[in-house]
Amino acid sequence: MSIFHSFPNLPGPEETAFCKLNEVYCCGNARYGNISTFSNATKKHPIINVTRDLHHHRTSDENISMYIDVEDNLLKKITSVWYKQGFLEALSVAADPSVNRESPTLAVTASYILKVANILTAFRYFLQPHLKDIGPKIVANYSRTRNWGQVPVKCLAWHPHTTKIAVATVDDNVRVYCSEVTFVSTLKCKAQGHVSSLNWRPLSASELAVGCEQGVIVWTVDPNLMFTKPSSSNAVLLKKNGHSPVTDVSWSPNGDLLISCSGADTSMLVWDTAMETAIPLRRVAGGGNVFARWSFDASKIFTATSSIIFRIWDTKTWTPERWCARGHRVVAACWGPDNILLFAAKGEPMVYALTTTSLLSGSQTTKATPALDVTKVELSSGEPVGGPILDMCWDPTGRYMAMLFEESHLVAVFCTTYIMMQLKIDPCCFVTGVEDEIPCTMAFQQNFNDGACLTIAWSSGRVQHFPIIYSESY
Amino acid sequence: MDVTCDIFSKRLIISVLWNIGLQAVIAVMLVGFIQIDILHPVSWISSSINDVFGWKMSINIVLLGLVSFFQAYIYGCYYVKPLPKYFTRFSMFLSLFCAQNIIFSILYALSGYFTMSLYSSLAKSNFNTLKKICENYDGQCLLEQSLFLQMGGMWMGLYYFLNAHIFSPTTLTFPHIYQDKFQQIKLAIHSILSCGFKSSIIPVVYYCIFYYFWGHKPRNVVSDVYGLYLEDKPLDNILNLFGSGIWIGLWFYTSLFLISVYAMRTVFNIVLTEPMKFPIESSKKLTLHKAIAQKSQFNGYLGTQDLKIMSLTDTVRRKEIFTLSQPGGHPRNWNNLLQECLKIVNDFSKELDSINGDMKPVEIEMLPKRPGSSITPKSTLYTGNLRNMAYSPQLHELKEHNKNKSEHTLISAIKEEFNILVQRIRQKPGISYLFGELTDTRLKFLLMQAQPVMWTCEGLAFIAAASLKEDKYGVVQTDLPIVISTLINLKQNLDKLTKPGLVPRKHILNDSFALKMKSALLSSVKLSIYKIVITFSKYIHEIPLDPDVQIAIQPFLICKEA
Repeated sequence: MSIFHSFPNLPGPEETAFCKLNEVYCCGNARYGNISTFSNATKKHPIINVTRDLHHHRTSDENISMYIDVEDNLLKKITSVWYKQGFLEALSVAADPSVNRESPTLAVTASYILKVANILTAFRYFLQPHLKDIGPKIVANYSRTRNWGQVPVKCLAWHPHTTKIAVATVDDNVRVYCSEVTFVSTLKCKAQGHVSSLNWRPLSASELAVGCEQGVIVWTVDPNLMFTKPSSSNAVLLKKNGHSPVTDVSWSPNGDLLISCSGADTSMLVWDTAMETAIPLRRVAGGGNVFARWSFDASKIFTATSSIIFRIWDTKTWTPERWCARGHRVVAACWGPDNILLFAAKGEPMVYALTTTSLLSGSQTTKATPALDVTKVELSSGEPVGGPILDMCWDPTGRYMAMLFEESHLVAVFCTTYIMMQLKIDPCCFVTGVEDEIPCTMAFQQNFNDGACLTIAWSSGRVQHFPIIYSESY
Repeated sequence: MDVTCDIFSKRLIISVLWNIGLQAVIAVMLVGFIQIDILHPVSWISSSINDVFGWKMSINIVLLGLVSFFQAYIYGCYYVKPLPKYFTRFSMFLSLFCAQNIIFSILYALSGYFTMSLYSSLAKSNFNTLKKICENYDGQCLLEQSLFLQMGGMWMGLYYFLNAHIFSPTTLTFPHIYQDKFQQIKLAIHSILSCGFKSSIIPVVYYCIFYYFWGHKPRNVVSDVYGLYLEDKPLDNILNLFGSGIWIGLWFYTSLFLISVYAMRTVFNIVLTEPMKFPIESSKKLTLHKAIAQKSQFNGYLGTQDLKIMSLTDTVRRKEIFTLSQPGGHPRNWNNLLQECLKIVNDFSKELDSINGDMKPVEIEMLPKRPGSSITPKSTLYTGNLRNMAYSPQLHELKEHNKNKSEHTLISAIKEEFNILVQRIRQKPGISYLFGELTDTRLKFLLMQAQPVMWTCEGLAFIAAASLKEDKYGVVQTDLPIVISTLINLKQNLDKLTKPGLVPRKHILNDSFALKMKSALLSSVKLSIYKIVITFSKYIHEIPLDPDVQIAIQPFLICKEA
């Protein structure tokens, strides 16, 4: 008997789930229904719908072939390629006989230099095979967003203290939606490409870290200013050689340190953003660091590498404890209260819990135990659910956990209780999309007082707020 | 005061020991690298082992030890004292020629010479002696290459000294997280090596230019003194210099010298900036609040850093702060700590305030006191129908009369005239260039010492936030208003620096380090206020605060403060 069979039934064919009110699963007509008929808790929440016409056009890797070539002279062509795509690309342009018809000597020398460079890079990839994938590929490979490159919403992040959400769209702009004001600030600058992650700085109203291909961009968006497009002078680009593309950024809960991880770099960087200095935390085994998660009290950091190794760092001494997952890399992890950690490996339908127990002797033991089996099953309605896990979120109070699956289009929400060192996971409800919508990414609101509010970005560009409301008296 | 120097000197000694170890490793690596012989690995290894355990190596290590001791002494001199204040170009210029700098530059030149010749002797080059037997004549000839190298060593020593100590301020930068020492050295090695090889290019070029113009003078002096012949082509010719290839050697040895100096510097930084745990209560050891009290000194830095770390991670010592002293039941630990912390923050605010306000006296001078203008406030004072003896207008006149009397004595008039004269002379173009106060130096100087202030603010805020759950007796809660108002005061003073219009143009900073420091300070103060306000958001109306402060924390409560 799978845990999914004890979930409440899916809403009917024309219906969709709106919220959960004190154990009552509220569904309504997908087209005419409205969440305000059930609850006013999300009345002031920003309504987000990222449609295609909002996007700004930019030359990405996919549409560069659309442009018609203009005949420039050779030198201009080479310099422009060098400026835009780097030295090696410029060399290959110079070496290409179809482009470079004017000076054959240059073509010959360029082709020889290119050969030497290719041998060097081949040798480098032989030593460090994880560097082989180039920027966007690495991000797409490690991202917890489904189809990261194509979906309208690449990632989203709630502000820790106010009702304010940042959404990164497919055109690599970051939009900041706020509950009090109607307008939307759009953050964009030239360096902001291939946005992989967003994180608001705790204990601050305005600072947002954006992880992108070149590095980390820290935006300072004054909430009192009424600019829809803040200039890029409000952004600071933090970058370091070899630390690209950034696959994850996360602020310490104390708001003082920022950690950035890159799937192609074996060291993660701990930034002091005001001084723009970084201290690398380097451990070679396991390859690049994919993402990092701070525990609630900032005493521990979980980091997942691109191989089976993951680490728990202690922030007093900055030394890691090394763990190995079984079979595959860790794909998702989240901390809960009391320093309990849930994580899931790629391609495996199992959630593990990592708990630290203090013994009476004062020493601590940490152990990982399987906490939840989510093997793929078919519901009575025929919908498949479960299977390999794509992403997990835990709400800040530690009562609800949401899960995305690689092969299922449902979002499963579980109730979690942690009493007497025992973690108990119970079924709560499913959230379904309207028509053929697929969930891409999700996040729990950080300051929701009535319970928990799960925000899901669907593949259609719609962003849904799904409140789970409980009152203590109930 | 004994205890204060204790920590620093102990650390210096430890770092010297680390240094000697590291220098030995570098030297051994050099020996291994130079004798590299892939075809005969056994003879390569055996000859390098022979060299490593030979007498040359031991002398080398002793000398390197001496050099690092002397470096430690210099660092000690720079770090223990508070930063010197130079606000005018003239005083800055004079300070270049103080005795300390002259002695240090000589010492550095010597150390450059020694390190260079040591490495060249380890590398078994034949440029260690100035003399060689002539090929064409009968007698001894000058080996100009070795003269070139040895003078180059001194040049590099001087160059490094000028670059590292004179033209850039020597301040200890504390890393924001502290890893294991060995780990840090491992991380630093790569950058030290690449930095050494890269930054040695420029001084070598400078030296070659210098030698091209002035090289014949030392050559003549040396050959005269030792009675040596000149046989080879002179090196102060560009073609000869390039042809001899000695510049490659100079570049290599300079890189080695810079690598060893950078390694020393890194080791000193790593050992000196290690966080230290101060006890809260102790009769023998230096306690936390006493360490904090020595502000702007090395211990002050360590103390404030420890305050921040303690407030974030150390529950045991926090508990000690929240306890009451046993006989009496006073929160002595907290009071001592709070007093010192507030003193640091308030002193800084006051300095900032004086910088913000130093345009005001000039404005007052510009508007001379008109006797008529003083009437208006008097009349406003006496508006009510009530007769108030304390505020009677006669009394006011009486007071002013007294004041005027004292101002109009002859001596004070002369003094005033003299001051005006001095001011006027200072305004003259050439003199104001030399003696006028530099535009942003005071603010820069202040911001350079802002690091302990940041740590103090954050430490205070996090202790206050922790007190909500951990403080059983409400020790901290009684002092919350003063903590909040102090932080708000500092924030307002900082805001005055950035708000356009209010700032006189002269405080525009052009130093990127100071600019970063300013933004770091501002963000750390805001973070501290946010921490307190968000933690106590439910109870904020029960904290007795001044109305001004209450208004000032409103944007923080609704998360609208940028």
